[in-house]
Amino acid sequence: MSDAAISRAVHPWWASRRLGFLAAALVIAALPMMLTGNYWQTNLTICAINVLLALGLDFILGYAGQLNLGQSAFYGLGAYVSTLLITRLGVPFWAAFAAGVAFAGLAGMILATFAVRLRGHYLAIASLGFAVITYQILLNWINLTQGPLGIYAIPPPPAITIPGLPAISFRNPVALFYLVAGVTLLVYFILDQLVRSPIGETLTAIREDEVSAASLGINTALWKVFAFGVGAAVGGAAGCFYATFVGTLVPDAFFITESFTILAMVIVGGMGTLIGPVFGAVLLTLLPEVLRGVGDLRLMVYGAVLTLVVLFMPGGLVQAARVVGARLGLSR
Amino acid sequence: MRQQHLLVATSALGLIASVAIGGANAQDKTIKIGALLPMSGPGAYFGSQDKQGIELALEQLNKSMVNGYKFTIQYEDSACSPLPASQAAKRLLDQYKPDVIIGEECSDATLAIMPIIEQAKVPMINAGSSALKITDPGNPYTFRIMPNEVMQGVDIASQAYNKLNARTAVLLFENTNAGIGNAKVFKETFEKLGGKILAEIGFGRDVNDFTSIATRVAGLGKIDVIPTYTLEGQGLKITQALAQAGVVKGGDGPAIQLGTIWLPFGFEQKAGKAATGYVRIVQFDPTDPRDMVKNFVSAFKAKFNSDPTHLNAHAYDQIMLIADVVKRGAKDAQSIRDMLAQTKSFVGVTGSVEFDKNNQNVKMDTIHYMETQPDLSWKALKWN
Repeated sequence: MSDAAISRAVHPWWASRRLGFLAAALVIAALPMMLTGNYWQTNLTICAINVLLALGLDFILGYAGQLNLGQSAFYGLGAYVSTLLITRLGVPFWAAFAAGVAFAGLAGMILATFAVRLRGHYLAIASLGFAVITYQILLNWINLTQGPLGIYAIPPPPAITIPGLPAISFRNPVALFYLVAGVTLLVYFILDQLVRSPIGETLTAIREDEVSAASLGINTALWKVFAFGVGAAVGGAAGCFYATFVGTLVPDAFFITESFTILAMVIVGGMGTLIGPVFGAVLLTLLPEVLRGVGDLRLMVYGAVLTLVVLFMPGGLVQAARVVGARLGLSR
Repeated sequence: MRQQHLLVATSALGLIASVAIGGANAQDKTIKIGALLPMSGPGAYFGSQDKQGIELALEQLNKSMVNGYKFTIQYEDSACSPLPASQAAKRLLDQYKPDVIIGEECSDATLAIMPIIEQAKVPMINAGSSALKITDPGNPYTFRIMPNEVMQGVDIASQAYNKLNARTAVLLFENTNAGIGNAKVFKETFEKLGGKILAEIGFGRDVNDFTSIATRVAGLGKIDVIPTYTLEGQGLKITQALAQAGVVKGGDGPAIQLGTIWLPFGFEQKAGKAATGYVRIVQFDPTDPRDMVKNFVSAFKAKFNSDPTHLNAHAYDQIMLIADVVKRGAKDAQSIRDMLAQTKSFVGVTGSVEFDKNNQNVKMDTIHYMETQPDLSWKALKWN
């Protein structure tokens, strides 16, 4: 029996990936209609950006097992490269977007090339150091980045014109959400294909036991560089969208604490799965906003919720969902 | 008898209806104020102190109302940072639908909010952000009642040169929009007057230990003044490090530390002896003999059992300025904006307000210089 046949036999109908993607597309389409108003619609866009960030880190950490604390740097590089190309050189948005993604991916590969021998805490420190250096460059290379003076009035992506239809302007928060969420769904699809391919199995083998993987002939260094490149490129894509969404760019947005926020999204959601970081990112983005009604206690409640999730659901929300699913008899 | 019952019932219904309609009218005559203030992060002290000034002003105004209008407020934590600030602004505009907004304190956050409030056509009164861009070019919906970085920087550099006979200076500033901007203006003005800048030292908000910076400053030779642009947390550490290094008067050195409105009242008490001789701009002089100020100080003490700070006073003035435009006939966002733009002679507890064509307050009587005495009290220098 083929893998696909086994998969069909084992997984119930509702777990089918095609239906999952269709349902995700429908949810994305319906969300701005359910959450009306500029405030909630822009929150949706922030969710989509954070999902991208978490997916990128999860690919490096959850699948390749590399403790990367430098995701904020790739996020910032994507944002600054695309913005500088647009504002200084007049490069069209999508070309600048591609350049931002490529630059961040390349930076990830360069970091991994040097850090490839490091593991665990040592890799964490090295990647954190990379994030600190990148932040300092963004802050202090004022001639290029404007540093703390900031870059303002960054335009949204140009409107899309489809013959016979009115132009779609991304000044409209719903259109911008659809754009970012659409790209996020596409990235999710690509990563899903990757992790279910032999590449995913190779990365998982490295994560589980690097020495054994090497003894089987896997070039672990090469694949770790690959994982860093992909994860960093996805982080860079999030940065490109961040700049055009907020319209303001200051280095503080990419301070190292952002790396820990992204890490929290992955852990709370459930690392080593693709759907987990999606839930983690959505929860940690929306929770502080939902808690605004609590007033000054908002951040305390947020911290308490975060601690409780990590304490009682070490496998994250995905593990919790599996436990609940098992109790309800929805899964094996 | 039936007719009498009918009459009583009709009268009762009429009374209920009139009370209900009257109530609805009273309800309708409300000016909704949105407050975008940092209530978390390193600038949280701005938000908590602003809130006190706002609460006092609203309590006083709502006792008698203004032109039949009462004032309500909703606070949002804008966290001194562009993304949280823009989200807080959108939430406020979407859900509370304010007629006017006050805030933010930090320049980066204010600059991020400005296009949002302009699009929503809701005026915003700012009292804490000094970056020039906010009112140059600014936008038609953003008003600033405090002097911008150029006005403050030119004034403090001129006073240092002329009143303190300073000829050498070392600039210490946080690497933010406002920090760099303020330091730049001081440098340009001071050098134009004939002074010399010995060093320009910028630092991130993540720096916690200023010993190495103080040691470097101590090795720069004879320094007359050290203009310092930073928030309270780092400001305390800098002042103490400079005193320990024997650079400033608080450490028996020759240099005078100069500061701006960034520091809250009570800074001296926290810094201790190290703050002796510190000269700084405050935008509220609690020793001001005007009745308005005396009344504000006593009302504040009665309500909060503490002396008001310039942040309390600024927030109080922002609300009183809104009340002033309502008194002049404003009743909604657009008319508040239009009346604000026409403001020529508003007098508040921090000073007076007259907006130029870019909605920048041009009055300099909001700048008061204070010198910290050995007992940590203030001496008003009366330079403006």
